[in-house]
Amino acid sequence: MSTTHDDENTKSYLEVNPGWRNWLVTLDHKRIGMMYLFGILGALLLGGFFALLVRAELFMPGLTFVGKDWYNKFFTLHGAVMVFLVIIPGIPAALGNMILPIQLGAPDVAFPRLNLASFYLWCAGATLLLLAVVLGGVDTGWTFYTPYSLQSQTAVLPAVLGAFLLGFSSIFTGLNFLVTIHKFRPAKMGWFQMPLNVWALYATALMQVLATPVLGITLLLLFVERFIGIGVFDPTLGGDPVLFQHFFWFYSHPAVYIMILPAMGVVSELMTVFCRKPIFGYRFIAYSSVSLALLSFLVWGHHMFVSGQSRLANMVFSALTFSVGIPSAIKVFNWASTLYKGDIRLQTPMLYALSFLILFTIGGLTGIFLAILSVDVQLHDTYFVVAHFHYVMMGSALVAFLGGLHYWWPKVSGRMYPERLGQYCAVGVFVGFNLTFLPQFVMGSRGMPRRYWDYDPEYWHYHQASTIGAFILGISLFIVVCYMMWSFKNGKKASQNPWGGTTLEWSAPTPPTLYNFPEPPELHELYVYDDLVEDEANGNWVRKPASGSRPAGGH
Amino acid sequence: MASDHDKHDDHGHGLAHVASSKTLLGTWITLMFLTVITVTATRIDLGPSYNLALAMAIAVVKATLVLLFFMHLRYDKLFHSVLVAGGILAAALFVGFALMDSSQYQQTIIWDPSHPPLPPFGPIPVP
Amino acid sequence: MSQAQHDAHDGHGDHGSPFIQHHFDDGQHQFDTGKLGIWFFLVQEILFFSALFVAYILYRNHHPEIFAYAHHYLDVKWGAINTAVLIVSSLTAAWSVRAAQLNQQKLLVGLLAATIACAFGFLGIKYVEYTHKIHEGILFGNRFDPCVSSGGEALPNKKNHCHGVKSSVVWDAKTKAAAKGCLEGDFDQDPAMARIQASCEVAEVTFQGTGAKRVEQSRRSIVACDTTPLEGKTGWAARRPRAASSASPCWELINNPWVCPKGPAAMVYYGDHAARGHQIEIEVANCKAAPKPTEPTDVFGDVVRPGGPGQATYVRHEPVSKHELALEVSNGPPPPHTNMFFSIYFAMTGLHGLHVLMGIFVYIWLLIRATKGQFGPAYFGPVDYAALYWHLVDLIWIFLFPLLYLIH
Repeated sequence: MSTTHDDENTKSYLEVNPGWRNWLVTLDHKRIGMMYLFGILGALLLGGFFALLVRAELFMPGLTFVGKDWYNKFFTLHGAVMVFLVIIPGIPAALGNMILPIQLGAPDVAFPRLNLASFYLWCAGATLLLLAVVLGGVDTGWTFYTPYSLQSQTAVLPAVLGAFLLGFSSIFTGLNFLVTIHKFRPAKMGWFQMPLNVWALYATALMQVLATPVLGITLLLLFVERFIGIGVFDPTLGGDPVLFQHFFWFYSHPAVYIMILPAMGVVSELMTVFCRKPIFGYRFIAYSSVSLALLSFLVWGHHMFVSGQSRLANMVFSALTFSVGIPSAIKVFNWASTLYKGDIRLQTPMLYALSFLILFTIGGLTGIFLAILSVDVQLHDTYFVVAHFHYVMMGSALVAFLGGLHYWWPKVSGRMYPERLGQYCAVGVFVGFNLTFLPQFVMGSRGMPRRYWDYDPEYWHYHQASTIGAFILGISLFIVVCYMMWSFKNGKKASQNPWGGTTLEWSAPTPPTLYNFPEPPELHELYVYDDLVEDEANGNWVRKPASGSRPAGGH
Repeated sequence: MASDHDKHDDHGHGLAHVASSKTLLGTWITLMFLTVITVTATRIDLGPSYNLALAMAIAVVKATLVLLFFMHLRYDKLFHSVLVAGGILAAALFVGFALMDSSQYQQTIIWDPSHPPLPPFGPIPVP
Repeated sequence: MSQAQHDAHDGHGDHGSPFIQHHFDDGQHQFDTGKLGIWFFLVQEILFFSALFVAYILYRNHHPEIFAYAHHYLDVKWGAINTAVLIVSSLTAAWSVRAAQLNQQKLLVGLLAATIACAFGFLGIKYVEYTHKIHEGILFGNRFDPCVSSGGEALPNKKNHCHGVKSSVVWDAKTKAAAKGCLEGDFDQDPAMARIQASCEVAEVTFQGTGAKRVEQSRRSIVACDTTPLEGKTGWAARRPRAASSASPCWELINNPWVCPKGPAAMVYYGDHAARGHQIEIEVANCKAAPKPTEPTDVFGDVVRPGGPGQATYVRHEPVSKHELALEVSNGPPPPHTNMFFSIYFAMTGLHGLHVLMGIFVYIWLLIRATKGQFGPAYFGPVDYAALYWHLVDLIWIFLFPLLYLIH
């Protein structure tokens, strides 16, 4: 069962210690990341299934196939599964776990056993959410607002407990990444020689560690209140339901940045590699990542503009929310400038990255619209908000997740996915997504409320377009998951550096060995592509012999 | 070996600084003393807000002693202290913004009687 | 599994301890990494508790009267002892790290054991406090149904399991008045005096079992309570009505508008658990007022003011200090939503207690490892990290104690 010294340096991590029992107790970050990936893709399909149920009901006004009670459960479960099981863990837990240590040239994360514990917590949380589904679902909305969540007769307790455990999974992952980045960089890799993906994961991890515990205590209080009636949020006992919202959004606003920052990190990597030129404004992107993480703690009240929050707080939060758009805008400018005069390769990861750029711009701008207090009073709880957050959470975060998945898939699985099919699905995702959510902006500004199962006939055509788009999107995503699974066994064998990247993971074997690097890797200048040439025969990029010395480090 | 480390601060050998027994005992005695002070201070009536401020001030002093000496922040990397400060700052932000909001709550919303809101938000004016 | 990987893969040189994991460069790297990790964890714990502090601050800001009233239900003595216990355990925890660093194995084991003992002591005191509160009905949310006011005055029974006081009055929670049982008919009482003694003849005593409508004639005699002030005690403890023997109940006439707004009522006090749960009704007759004292007898020190014609010659002493005012308030019934204080109290101390319990498990694990000699100058990370966690637990209590127990 134990490996020999040779095995560790020659066999890939997929082959060493085979058998599902060894996978379940593995301490290898790559195996843990792969297991997360399978779970997260499964949850994506489950959450997507609920989304299609929601959209199917909305295809026609009036009762289409379920009534309001089931509809409430469908959108709640769609939200809870997607937010807690897919998007928040998404890039950090799946891609980050697999790639972060390799990008740092490290043999593993700082605390491998804690990493495994994080995965088990994710599984426990997922099981509890599934239990909630099986026990008849939850109908409170994924936000579990009191007092309804205290009174609802649905399976709130397992759902809340599941989300609580998922919160701790997230905290421990973030803790692990923070310590890994501090303590496991090679001597020559200073803070400003780190890949931007690492910067993004660092900023994300800061938020995970600082914000998620507040979700933990909020859900714990909600659980205890339902269970034994402790009464902090119940107005009939003197409690304050708006206090629940303060607690909830103190986490959930940074949570949305936990969702988007790793995506931005991935996009930074993709932009530079697929334009064959250094990223524009490395330090600006690095600083803006951290400042976005810090600023995200100051704006949570913008979710509560119409919930009875005081006028003073409303104005303060509205003003602060404008500031939080600045770091994101800086990044968008930098990516666009990277594209300028770049040698753009439109392979699947780049298609996702370009989609991100467009969709994030729309999503981010509409967020600024909603930050305007007077506008939000009109648009709160309408489809405008739904469209906004789907543009940023799905059109940006999920799209970047897919881009990163395709980008790193050759490295972690040793196989190429089918490129042509990948490109078609990327287009299918883009088209389906826009068809689903663009009409929702219009609907929302015309007054269509969210979380409603029935609507006036004036919105019918928007809903129809939206539902058709949702099915196109769903089918494309389903095909993506299918061909990824297929390529695991049947894809073309991948070379060591199929994209010509300069970060350290491309110096590791494909797939990596147990401790990632048989020999300590050589650090090259980050994001400088002059030295790399493509070997047309096998699609591998190799380095020309170096001529003269260059100072290490990015801009 | 114990006597070498007893009295002075230890840098250089071992994995970390060894707290001297004098530091540990001194911190402990100060903490116990401050606890006694906190309890007896409640007998003095300074008004509710000043009593609270005094109790909190003593608690902060005790907490600082625990952080600096028992938890070694005095002898550790500065980054650890930055972390603690960051955590406290985040918590303080949470408290501050929530308090800013809730301090504005009123039992009843006070309208300006000379400018009542127009219908549909206010009463229909009697002609 | 990792042990085998260790042996096969020992390319990192001498580690000095078998517990250095392979992916670290050396023991120092592992120690520093673990230290940074535990500090991030502690920061996370600060944020975990922060929400409860937010709730506390907001509620106290909005309802200071609830906090001023309710904190008297807490016993400062136990809180202070707990604070001292935790500070001692912090000392032993910090010292245990020093012992491990200096290879003082026996001292290390002793200190770890002492920390665990202190932790158990803390939980033991918490157990005492909590069981007392459960017994007295002083709980959170809907379960807040105290036996006594925070000043110690008996509150009428609302079907809780209080021992010591059982009123002959049946209390109606909705109208907040006596549903039945107040004495009717006039007899000569001074309504200005909150507590009066009178001599009455006990006409009939009825015990009604809970549920069954069994009526028995005085199964045991109920005597008038002795309310002469006890020497050496002050306040309620001095004035508490006492029966001649602790086993039998005693009755007293009171004139407490919260109990019976119409006028006087008979209150029964007993410490007999067997009689608890019965509804006792006393019919008294031929009551005559106690002779009016010529000297003021009010506890606050009466002010005798000559009144005009027809006015009482004794006036209630107005409390001059906030302390006296608070005492008077605390002798009354709880203000509305006093349960909120206990919701927050139980949430904060409960969560803190859970963390103490988790700390006990960690320290037992450390103790077992220490008895096997696994810690020493080359490897003491777990002792250090656990001590840091324990200090955080102590830190949180340092703030909880004044906030909950020492409200003025």
